[in-house]
Amino acid sequence: MDVLTELEKIRTAFETEAASCDDAAGAERLRVKYLGRKGALTGILRALSGLDAGAKREAGQKANELKQFFGETLKEINACLAYNLRNSKQNAPDMTLPGIKPGIGTLHPITRVMARINEIFVSLGFSIADGPEVETEFYNFEALNIPLDHPSRDAFDTFYVDDKYLLRSHTSNVQIRVMQNKRPPIRVIMPGRVYRPDAVDASHSFMFHQVEGLAVAEGVRFSDLKGVLSVFCRSMFGPDIKMRIRPHFFPFTEPSVEVDISCIICGGAGCRVCSGGGWLEIMGAGMVNPKVFKAVKVDPGKYTGFAFGMGVERIAMLLYGIEDIRLFYENDTRFLEQFT
Amino acid sequence: MKLSYAWLKKYIDLKSSPARVAELLTMSGSEVEEVKKVGSDSVMSMEITSNRPDCLNIIGLAREVAAVTAAKLRLPDMKAPRNTGKGPEIKCAIKNKKLCPRYTARVITDTHITATAGEMTEKILALGMRAVNGVVDVTNFCLMETGQPMHAFDLDKIKGNRIIVREAVKGEKITTIDGTQRELAPGMLVIADDARPIAIAGIMGGVDTEVTGATKNILLESAYFDPASIRRTARLLGLSSESGYRFERGVDKDMVKPASDRAARLIGDETGGRICAFYDTGKLSAKKTSVKLDVEKAAEILGVPLRKDKVKSLFRRLGMTVTIAKSGSMSVSVPSFREDITQEVDLVEEIARVQGYDSMPMTMANFIPETGRKTHDRRVAEKLKDMLCGLGLSEIMTYSLISRPDAERFPDTTVGVPIGLKNPLSEEHAVLTPHLLDGMLRTIAWNLNRKNTDLALFEIGKIYMREGEGKKISEIPALCVGMTGVLRRDWREGKKQADLYDLKGAVEMFLKRLKIPVTFHEAALSGMETCAGVKLFEQTEDAGFLGTAGADMLNAYDIGQPVFVCQLRLDKIMKKAVLLSRYRAVPRFPSSSRDISVLCEADLPAGKIREVIRSVGEDIIQEIELVDVYKGKQVPSGKKSLSFSITYGLGMRTLTDKEIESVHTRIKTALTEKFNVAFR
Repeated sequence: MDVLTELEKIRTAFETEAASCDDAAGAERLRVKYLGRKGALTGILRALSGLDAGAKREAGQKANELKQFFGETLKEINACLAYNLRNSKQNAPDMTLPGIKPGIGTLHPITRVMARINEIFVSLGFSIADGPEVETEFYNFEALNIPLDHPSRDAFDTFYVDDKYLLRSHTSNVQIRVMQNKRPPIRVIMPGRVYRPDAVDASHSFMFHQVEGLAVAEGVRFSDLKGVLSVFCRSMFGPDIKMRIRPHFFPFTEPSVEVDISCIICGGAGCRVCSGGGWLEIMGAGMVNPKVFKAVKVDPGKYTGFAFGMGVERIAMLLYGIEDIRLFYENDTRFLEQFT
Repeated sequence: MKLSYAWLKKYIDLKSSPARVAELLTMSGSEVEEVKKVGSDSVMSMEITSNRPDCLNIIGLAREVAAVTAAKLRLPDMKAPRNTGKGPEIKCAIKNKKLCPRYTARVITDTHITATAGEMTEKILALGMRAVNGVVDVTNFCLMETGQPMHAFDLDKIKGNRIIVREAVKGEKITTIDGTQRELAPGMLVIADDARPIAIAGIMGGVDTEVTGATKNILLESAYFDPASIRRTARLLGLSSESGYRFERGVDKDMVKPASDRAARLIGDETGGRICAFYDTGKLSAKKTSVKLDVEKAAEILGVPLRKDKVKSLFRRLGMTVTIAKSGSMSVSVPSFREDITQEVDLVEEIARVQGYDSMPMTMANFIPETGRKTHDRRVAEKLKDMLCGLGLSEIMTYSLISRPDAERFPDTTVGVPIGLKNPLSEEHAVLTPHLLDGMLRTIAWNLNRKNTDLALFEIGKIYMREGEGKKISEIPALCVGMTGVLRRDWREGKKQADLYDLKGAVEMFLKRLKIPVTFHEAALSGMETCAGVKLFEQTEDAGFLGTAGADMLNAYDIGQPVFVCQLRLDKIMKKAVLLSRYRAVPRFPSSSRDISVLCEADLPAGKIREVIRSVGEDIIQEIELVDVYKGKQVPSGKKSLSFSITYGLGMRTLTDKEIESVHTRIKTALTEKFNVAFR
């Protein structure tokens, strides 16, 4: 029998045995039998010395190929054994074992809610604008028709940096900056961080987030404000949500509005969350006060507009059923990982 | 402000239930927060906005209800009473006419003061006010009824029968009727007699001249004080009162005398006292404001058709007078108690709120069709957040106000001067944070204390600083990443502790995806044990750092396990990140790879070897991957083995073995010459 036939026989024998090998000991026996110092291949290679040069080269090459093949097959067998993937009864994959999951992080709930709000308004044609948190009296108050020593300031207690700068108490400062830099038509929303010196408890925080909106053009109507806010409320809270608006007062809008939605917990029947009233206040809004237009040199005779603003934490608490605002800033991972 | 349903009914024919009245008020702008049953009455807690001081009294609220229900309003008798006595002569002087434009005093003598004022006392008790005696209760009753605060002094205790309205003198003191001694300052308006202040104007009277059961003669004050001045004084003294609350919002300028007349008559009736002279000092009358209204324009602004006659009757119900010129233009004259109405849109709001906001239609604005846009910065930040989540990191959000020691704890990581607050709530939150490390380490400590031991977190926030004392304020977007504990744990591979290279890999990964070139170099930063500075683009300054937190840093936050942190400024990254990738042709010719195992000194940075490989093979190397680092039995001590897999290739043709071999050999030679390495 020539060497090449012999090698072929060894390969066939190896393949048969390898196919039924289903444990580590069997794999080791295979290795010793076919690749070991006294193994089948070694014997053949020794016997090559008697052949002529041409046959020797051919047989040597074949033998080496075979050696590599055995090595790779054994490696594969061992790898499969290690991961319980060897196809036999004893070592069949256990489909009840948990899969190996890549680690994926979570976005903060405030980021998620803010992104959702942004997305709805962007789809309605509003662009996103940003502005500074450290701001001057002019942008935070004066231009918004909030005079010094006036009770309307009560709602806007403020942190001061020095005589010139303060921490913005609302994102409305960006309204002013946008109108100074761009002529109407304007449609923007302004998400961001704001500060008010409120002592921290379950429902108050000295730092929180707002999304403010502004639309200015010729012929913008109160009914447009109502339309846009209604679309927003239904997109944000569900198609069955009811919205109502009530008169209110903000120095920078006239008429001013407070926006309520039917309670998302009880559907309006009255529960603890809505204090029995069936309504949840979620937003302030109104038609831009002509005095604000004058402060930024927009002609109030030509343009009208509406503005609105909402607290992101409040909306997140309602949506997720979170009862303590401090949870957002404690960043307990058992809290964070719930928002996927 | 509280409203009694029974009291309200005195001035208006009401068929609606308390619940319905509450809804009507809420939907017209006077929000009812709660309705409580008190005996047979219902008392509503109201939230009255600061522009509507006229709703801080029962008559004002009755007018609101009348306006929305079209019911008739019945006002009480406000006529001047007949004088029934003479009384002593009083002298009144106003020293500061700006802060007190009008001051009136009515003398009432020979009073027999009862303990209560009967029905009037009951009414104010229902609103949660305190009962004092037959006179004070009447002034409080009139305050709640008309909105005009009044004060009754014991005339016999006023020195020199003289009233002087003046600013306080430095160091002057007064004990107010709540029993507290208060130090006054210039700028605060007081009512004084010949010797001393006897009341803090418009806010609270003094205890010395208080009316008690023994009081025989009374001086009844009714005046108008400057709102801003009252507000400043009340704030400075930390003293709030029903009276001050109304004055600072502005009371009805035309109510000073009618309210005094009504109170005098009621006090006379209640105490049997004689009504004597009325002293009226100063001048004040409400501006006769008339606001023009273009009804068609109003209809345009509201997006609803309006009928002139309906609008006219609506304004009338609100106590306004309407004249329509021949041209058809409408002019609305505003009553003294509605100083909030100064411009046309204020009238538009009146129409809308009385008709009901809910009756207004909904439309979609007539805008030029356009989609909303996000700024490039914001899009980068959003992409970055998504990538970081994909890399297994969870987002945190921490306070941007921290303590000064925490702000100054990492001097090497901050440039510029931290920005402190003038009026912080607490020392704990007194400075705008100049780095994100405090928030990160605090969050890690908080979680470790709650047995959440394995953390991979990031925050994208702002850092705040001045570029020097008194200089410009900067708000810079920044990223902080923190890792500690076990990164991965599963049944197949077991536990994998987070280490420096996990952190560095995450940072390299997102920078690569944003197409931002980066280099790392060794750096020594206070607080950090091992640390690399991070340079982006060709910048000379580091954009941040990453490394292992040092023992001091960990101790400061009581953290007992290794923590790996990174902070990076994002301003340049946001500007230059590439969000739209340009396509580059996929190589049509196969590449081939060769391994190279270098045996070198253990302290030789792998990056140096990589640089040499790159520089020699520049033209034809597509990728260099470090596949193994080995120190141990197989290599001599003091050495390590680094294995690189080098991918060679050209875009336009297949490289020949010979070409590859030649470069590969040149690399080996260069490495040997440079670092005296061997190859395995």
